[in-house]
Amino acid sequence: MDAQHIDGNGVAGLLGEIAGLLGEIGGAEMTTVVRTCHSCGERRMIGEHRAYRGAGIVLRCATCDDVAVVIGVQEQRLVVEWRGTYTVGR
Amino acid sequence: MAGAAVLGRLTRLSWRVATVRDLVTETPRARTIVLDVDGWPGHRAGQHVDLRLTAEDGYQAQRSYSIASAPEEDVVRLTVELVEDGEVSPYLAGDLAVGDAFEIRGPIGGYFTWSAEDGGPLFLVAGGSGLAPLMSMLRHRAARGAAVRAHVLVSARSAEDLLYRDELETLEPREGLRIARTYTRESPPGWTGWSGRVDAAMLADVSPGPQARCFVCGPTAFVEHVNDLLVAGGHDARSIRAERFGPTGG
Amino acid sequence: MPPVSRGFRRRASAEADTSRIPPGQYRTTDFPVLSAGPTPRTPLDRWSLAIDGAVDAAREWSWQEFLALPQETVTVDIHCVTKWSKLDTTWTGVAVDTLLDGVDTSAEFVTAWCDGGYTTNVPLEDLAGGRAWVVHEFAGEPLSPEHGGPARLLVPHLYFWKSAKWLRGLSLTIEDEPGFWETYGYHNYGDPWREQRYWGD
Repeated sequence: MDAQHIDGNGVAGLLGEIAGLLGEIGGAEMTTVVRTCHSCGERRMIGEHRAYRGAGIVLRCATCDDVAVVIGVQEQRLVVEWRGTYTVGR
Repeated sequence: MAGAAVLGRLTRLSWRVATVRDLVTETPRARTIVLDVDGWPGHRAGQHVDLRLTAEDGYQAQRSYSIASAPEEDVVRLTVELVEDGEVSPYLAGDLAVGDAFEIRGPIGGYFTWSAEDGGPLFLVAGGSGLAPLMSMLRHRAARGAAVRAHVLVSARSAEDLLYRDELETLEPREGLRIARTYTRESPPGWTGWSGRVDAAMLADVSPGPQARCFVCGPTAFVEHVNDLLVAGGHDARSIRAERFGPTGG
Repeated sequence: MPPVSRGFRRRASAEADTSRIPPGQYRTTDFPVLSAGPTPRTPLDRWSLAIDGAVDAAREWSWQEFLALPQETVTVDIHCVTKWSKLDTTWTGVAVDTLLDGVDTSAEFVTAWCDGGYTTNVPLEDLAGGRAWVVHEFAGEPLSPEHGGPARLLVPHLYFWKSAKWLRGLSLTIEDEPGFWETYGYHNYGDPWREQRYWGD
């Protein structure tokens, strides 16, 4: 079993920063946002996804391991790709 | 599972100034930082914060720490364990003094949380410093006088390294609470309890039953191991919530 | 202006020989494990290494064939874009020059491709001239899976995300094709001495 990942909880602060940048609503707590995987169709909370740290951060579906979010991390900007469908409570 | 977390709302997160009110030595390698936080919105047991230090030259470093305090308290407690060769933990576990300040952002983590109204029974399994967020849950349970049955299994290197050792002993005799320990490197003299890595037999003995809400926290390898054993032991995978600290354990 | 945390400072670079540490880096003695995904576990009897793409004839080696090629042991410094540098790391493997020996191509670029789907791009000339290897041993021991075993690319003069783990092939390409991290803001070339971490650096 791979022991190198953390989970979507561990990078939640960074994801919140991204949601804030995208939505101009300030930082946002995202771990309970539900993602429907574009690959396997499973619905899981962001907090359950597996987070890997490489040069940047990759969040992967906890069911099928396919990529959910990629974050290129720089001092002055974040480069983000979201894959899948996200359901957010209002 | 019943009462699953409310669909994620995007709630505001911003950096707030946190001032050290007190420092409590927990073990030779760990201490709890007691913080007053400007405008703290409150938290749920199990959540964590991002902590950011700024040096005089503007250099910044950021780490995540679980909140160990109950939501009912007017302070935020973070327990920091010294990480070999670390950049931030030697400062927080060593140099930091009462009156010093840094920034925290949070609370973070709607997934790994528990409130008394969520009910139980609870099965909390901790590896090392993974006990911190679970301690928040136990303190919350005690503060609310909740009747929820809670069983705890904690793995520590030795009795000396066990966080909140005295507090766990004073909590224990209370109705519906059971705390079990296993020591992986060195047991105390005269110890008749468990030693070594958490295994299926320990989990089976301590679990309040397959219907329990399980919270597992610690280094990633520990969490994956315990998670697999819980599922094999009859717990529903969907009733297990996990928080992984990564390979070095937080 | 955030509050200054009294007494906090960046990791000390207890390094007399700072000429070996590129700008913005600090020296580490451990070996952090970074990855974009779970560790693949390819059994050696199913492993192969390929040179393909814009070449006259693709070639492929099985694990045994790969080990039978001329081997070299090198000691190099490595530099990660996440700011750690590790000095005097020792690796054993096959020079990319050996793998490319006799290959006929007009390609100027290479895409390294790997188990798990990771890719990275490097100019062909940066893999030649004794500057790159496909390695299967670290510090005299078989390369562990978490560090890229069975074999990884080693290109120490570039940031270490270019030293692709779990390497399965080098595809020669006419056009430069940004790999995984290069697509998400990381520099296309990645020279640590010019601090080329991100696009536009």
